Amino acid sequence: MNVSKELIAASATPLLLAILKAGDSYGYAIIKRVKEMSNNELIWSEGMLYPVLHRLEEQGLIESYWYKSEAGRQRKYYRIKERGLQELEIQRKQWEVVVAALAKTWSEGTIHKEG
Amino acid sequence: MFDLEVQINSWRDHLRARGNFTETDIRELESHLRDQIDDLITSGLTADEAFLISLKRLGNADAISNEYAKVNTDNLWKHFMLDPVNPQAERQNRRDIVMVVLFTLLAGTLLKLPELFGLKMSDAGSELFYVKNRSLFILPFVAAFFLIKRGAETKAWWMIFGIFALAAVVVNIYPSYAPHHTAMLSGLHLPLFLWLLTGAAYIGRDWQGRQGRMNFIRFSGEAFIYAVLVMAGVMVLGVFTMAIFESIGIDAEVFFEQYLLIYGVCAAAMISIYLADAKKSIVENFAPILAKIFSPLFLVTLVCFLAVMVVTGKSPFMEREFLIAFDFMLAMILGLVLYVISARDINQPVNLFDYLNLALIVTALIIDGVALSAILFRLSAFGITPNKVAALGENLVLLGNLAGLAWMYGRYFKKKINFTRLEKWQTDYLNVYLAWTAFVAFIFPIIFKFV
Repeated sequence: MNVSKELIAASATPLLLAILKAGDSYGYAIIKRVKEMSNNELIWSEGMLYPVLHRLEEQGLIESYWYKSEAGRQRKYYRIKERGLQELEIQRKQWEVVVAALAKTWSEGTIHKEG
Repeated sequence: MFDLEVQINSWRDHLRARGNFTETDIRELESHLRDQIDDLITSGLTADEAFLISLKRLGNADAISNEYAKVNTDNLWKHFMLDPVNPQAERQNRRDIVMVVLFTLLAGTLLKLPELFGLKMSDAGSELFYVKNRSLFILPFVAAFFLIKRGAETKAWWMIFGIFALAAVVVNIYPSYAPHHTAMLSGLHLPLFLWLLTGAAYIGRDWQGRQGRMNFIRFSGEAFIYAVLVMAGVMVLGVFTMAIFESIGIDAEVFFEQYLLIYGVCAAAMISIYLADAKKSIVENFAPILAKIFSPLFLVTLVCFLAVMVVTGKSPFMEREFLIAFDFMLAMILGLVLYVISARDINQPVNLFDYLNLALIVTALIIDGVALSAILFRLSAFGITPNKVAALGENLVLLGNLAGLAWMYGRYFKKKINFTRLEKWQTDYLNVYLAWTAFVAFIFPIIFKFV
């Protein structure tokens, strides 16, 4: 299934913040994680991910640092900040409203069909 | 034989040449690419296969790939990604060039227009008019160029051109009495003020942000280098024109002065900003090198000067001209320091040039401190004139900037702040320049009663 561009863009920030809340991570791992979590349905492109990461950093929601892995590779890790956690909470509430409303309309739809 | 490192190196160079990526971006993308390659190799691909596939994935993401494929080098991955040349970028570039030509002609013609009303550029009487207004002939076109390029909203157009119009009205409505000191000062400071205003058009919506402003500082430096090169070309063309016409007994000097030079200056300005914007990468690799060559040389000169001053016990003989010379020294040091800073990768650890920068700043501060203490005394003894106050003000503004940078460098070396903070301070300081130049251009004449 192809998730629309608009939906991917809209859900990018909360997903990113949620992933970073679970632990610091870097671009490549984040893309893999999103793929995994969505059962290969959400494929993020690098061209979308990095600009979003940089924007969130500019907004002060996350911060970055370079860290050398055991294999000796320098990676740019991102860490969620206090303001990012607050933002995540706000976004979570917004999404819950949307999801709840959608769930309701869908269940109503099936009732109509049955009746 | 396939060499992964060589291929990655050349890929990196192409990203760099693209000009839209900072070194940090490139390093980040590179670690991404390497992770992907490693994963693919683990799953059984050879290095070259893994490289091509990783690149394709990374490249497909956005316009990056188009840009790689366009570049004309014979690389393995180029054959693989022969995308058609991005037609949109092509169209934009053509539009930019049309704008450059059109705006050059318009600005040049605008410069010729006052002659119809009897204000000849060569007349001594109209000199003041041109001094006051020179920046208004070209900079609005530069601002328009960026506003069109950025697809700015109507509001931005109104704001920026409103200020241009206001500035034009104010400087021309002010009376001016001999010896015209404040009018001349206003003519000197207005271009700087309007250039900063043009900066807002260059940066666009995020004109208060650190990155946008840093880009503008970098852009200013590069545009300056291009302008010097292009102007040198115009002069060579002029001398050449006059020389060959002279050989057949025709004096082309009038043509040169009245047309070629005027349109040439406008063209130099427009071409410089177009080049500095479009072909960032060429000079981007070039300006920092110049700065790195000259900052040690300036440091040596300044230290020698300071040493001689201390040993011989001679303090600089203080006249306004010398104060202006010291202003230039500070401005030049600031320029050098900024070139080095703007080309620097924020995440890079402290390096030699950071220390060199600090040494340069501190030496300049000491010399200026000595000069300033001498001149303050003389200024107070001989009364206040607008020129003295302006020269002094410039000195203090530059001194403030350099002292702030030195302080920030010190904190950075002690690891109390990161480099972003230092850049932020510098970009915020642009507000001081904006305020000071506006003050001299618009308020000075009132304070000194338009003398």
